[in-house]
Amino acid sequence: MLAVGSLVTLSACSGSGDSGGSSSGGKSVTVEFWGAAVGLDKSVALWNKSHPDIKVKYSQIPAGSIGGYAKMQNAVKAGNAPCLGQVGYDTLSNFIATGALEDISQYADAGKDKFVPWTWQMSSVGDRVFGIPVDTGPMAMYYRTDLFKKYKISPPKTWDDFAAAAQKVHSANPSAYLTTTPQDAYDLGALTWQAGGKWFGTANDRWQVTIDNPQTSKVAQYWQGLLDKKLVTSDPMLDTAWFKKVQDGQLLSLVSAVWAAPLISKNLPELSGKWAVAPMPQWSAGQQTAGNRGGSATVVLKGCEHPKEATEFATWMSTDSDSVTNLIKNTGIYPAATSGQQLPAVDQPSKYFGGQNIYDVFKTAAANTSTGWVWGPTMSQVQSDMKDGLKKAGAGQGTIPKTVTSVQDSTVAAMKSQGLSVGK
Amino acid sequence: MATRTPGDALAHPIAGSAAKRIPGRGHTRSAVLFLAPFGLLFTAMLLAPIGYAVYQSFFRTHRSGLGLGPSTTVFAGFDNYVTALHDSRFMSSFLRVFTLGIVQVPVMLGLALLLALLLDSRGAVFKKVFRQIYFLPYALPGVIAAIMWSFLYAPSVSPFTAALRHVGLEVNFLSDDLVLASIGNMMTWAWTGFNMLIIYSALQAIPGELTEAAVMDGCSGWRVAWHVKIPAVRPALILTTVFSIIGTAQLFNEPAVLSQVAPTVSPTYTPILATQQSADINNYNYAATQSVILALLTFVLSFGFLKFTQRKGTFA
Repeated sequence: MLAVGSLVTLSACSGSGDSGGSSSGGKSVTVEFWGAAVGLDKSVALWNKSHPDIKVKYSQIPAGSIGGYAKMQNAVKAGNAPCLGQVGYDTLSNFIATGALEDISQYADAGKDKFVPWTWQMSSVGDRVFGIPVDTGPMAMYYRTDLFKKYKISPPKTWDDFAAAAQKVHSANPSAYLTTTPQDAYDLGALTWQAGGKWFGTANDRWQVTIDNPQTSKVAQYWQGLLDKKLVTSDPMLDTAWFKKVQDGQLLSLVSAVWAAPLISKNLPELSGKWAVAPMPQWSAGQQTAGNRGGSATVVLKGCEHPKEATEFATWMSTDSDSVTNLIKNTGIYPAATSGQQLPAVDQPSKYFGGQNIYDVFKTAAANTSTGWVWGPTMSQVQSDMKDGLKKAGAGQGTIPKTVTSVQDSTVAAMKSQGLSVGK
Repeated sequence: MATRTPGDALAHPIAGSAAKRIPGRGHTRSAVLFLAPFGLLFTAMLLAPIGYAVYQSFFRTHRSGLGLGPSTTVFAGFDNYVTALHDSRFMSSFLRVFTLGIVQVPVMLGLALLLALLLDSRGAVFKKVFRQIYFLPYALPGVIAAIMWSFLYAPSVSPFTAALRHVGLEVNFLSDDLVLASIGNMMTWAWTGFNMLIIYSALQAIPGELTEAAVMDGCSGWRVAWHVKIPAVRPALILTTVFSIIGTAQLFNEPAVLSQVAPTVSPTYTPILATQQSADINNYNYAATQSVILALLTFVLSFGFLKFTQRKGTFA
């Protein structure tokens, strides 16, 4: 739901109209909230209807990696940040490290048991809580059923099958491709997550940086191999050019998270009934492991005057059944709240996906996602360097494995230059 | 981009008689009064931020351990500057705009001068129309123009690429070899008209007697241009060069927009982009350092050029 560099999430829809602050006995407070995901405004509207004392004012900002995070950080720096912001788990450490977040443990702890434990860990450091989890990003493979039939391929069970399918499609039609290469740190991180590797860890009060670990190298070499044979394209996923190619039948599938579903259905309504979801391809046959791409928390930004009320709203947004149902339907989240995972909204067939109950696949994926992944404290830099390198590799300058190596080095250098302890 | 109006610099394209007035006491007071609003705004909007950036550049944020506790700001001396000068990406961004400027600025100003001379020539027809046409690109907002060009360049939609393909040429305007030339072309397109107008105004100010005398002496059109007109518009040429140096050093719009479609345009493609990226990844002190270095270099280059041209012969 976060870090989608797509134009889709940019549709500037402002929240519900401001109907004048009604101060009921001077007790009403207003809390500002900046988010990037589509549909958050509807949850805010639901809250404002039922909570006259705490008014939430929602503003749509660009997705994190295309300026949203910089905007929040700059606002914190300037001392005029909103109370609440939407931040992906991947960039939360970064926000904590720059001192941009309030510690909300005293207000949030009561809600701890309502969430899947690893999402709570992702939103905290030790016993200090910095955010309220909203969702996770279990992954699967979206594919065009009609085109798979046309090229006589079935959803690949392993990455080897996937490469074979890519070959088959491209041989049959030189202008068609099975998919696109990983475009940024979040893509590559998610694929590494599935392969069982880790980029960051902490021990003895030191960061370990292992972006060039064996699993990431394996993933990088795999995609470089497909790229060398020209069996995949390097279009950024889920943006204008990508949608156009999908429409033209030049791209057949996408390995991504649950939140991609509404983006696909809203942008390609004419392809309704021609999509299905299958589990991610595996590194070894018979496995069921999945990666996690994205997922975010609602954080309280530094300088917020009403952290208690802000936390109250954030907890409500992630757990209230009406709000979560809205977020499932309109934002395409997979809830981080345990109660949310029992809602009827995550257990029904989808017309767009040909009547398939796609949540079956995502639930299995979520259950088979390892929970020990840690994000580092300089993800803005990691993302920037990785994106640049992968973009160039896609254009034939440098390679994906070389990018991984150079990002490992630039990340260690960036962390050391800030005085962070980096150890082996 | 430098978009200041040329103002007084053009009022005397030819050595005017700068009448010396000795200000009286009353004059001083009213001068101060008139200058105050400007002085206040100039201090608040320009001097103060510059001072703050310089101050910031001598500090750095220090964290320890995992960096998840509060950070401290420590005095760094020239550390940030040393880092910047060893930062290969930052340095190559300078080299890039320098390479671009060395080629693009002369080409653009040569073109602007040629167009201005053509407009100013006796035989020119539809002067007004042509002047408008040349100036039109400058009237478009820079970012809008850049977005338009990015569509014209992007291999999948470019009409040029498609047309060239028809004659059997495979050209990618955003490839590593061509992208800098493509950016240069965008800048030339956007700024030639603006510079042409400045030069043209200077041409208009040349007294008719001068050109007439030259014609009487048997000068043809081109020779009048070479011997009379071009020397007369020298100050305007110097002014447009200085504007262009400043503008090129601060190149931002074109690469920022092209980076969306061109894999070769990195987030550190030009000095300003590199500075912005440092701010984006929360390294504000380093971003301040980079801005100071960029400002100094721009100043040295533009001022150096001015000094250089003034030394070479009298400044008309």
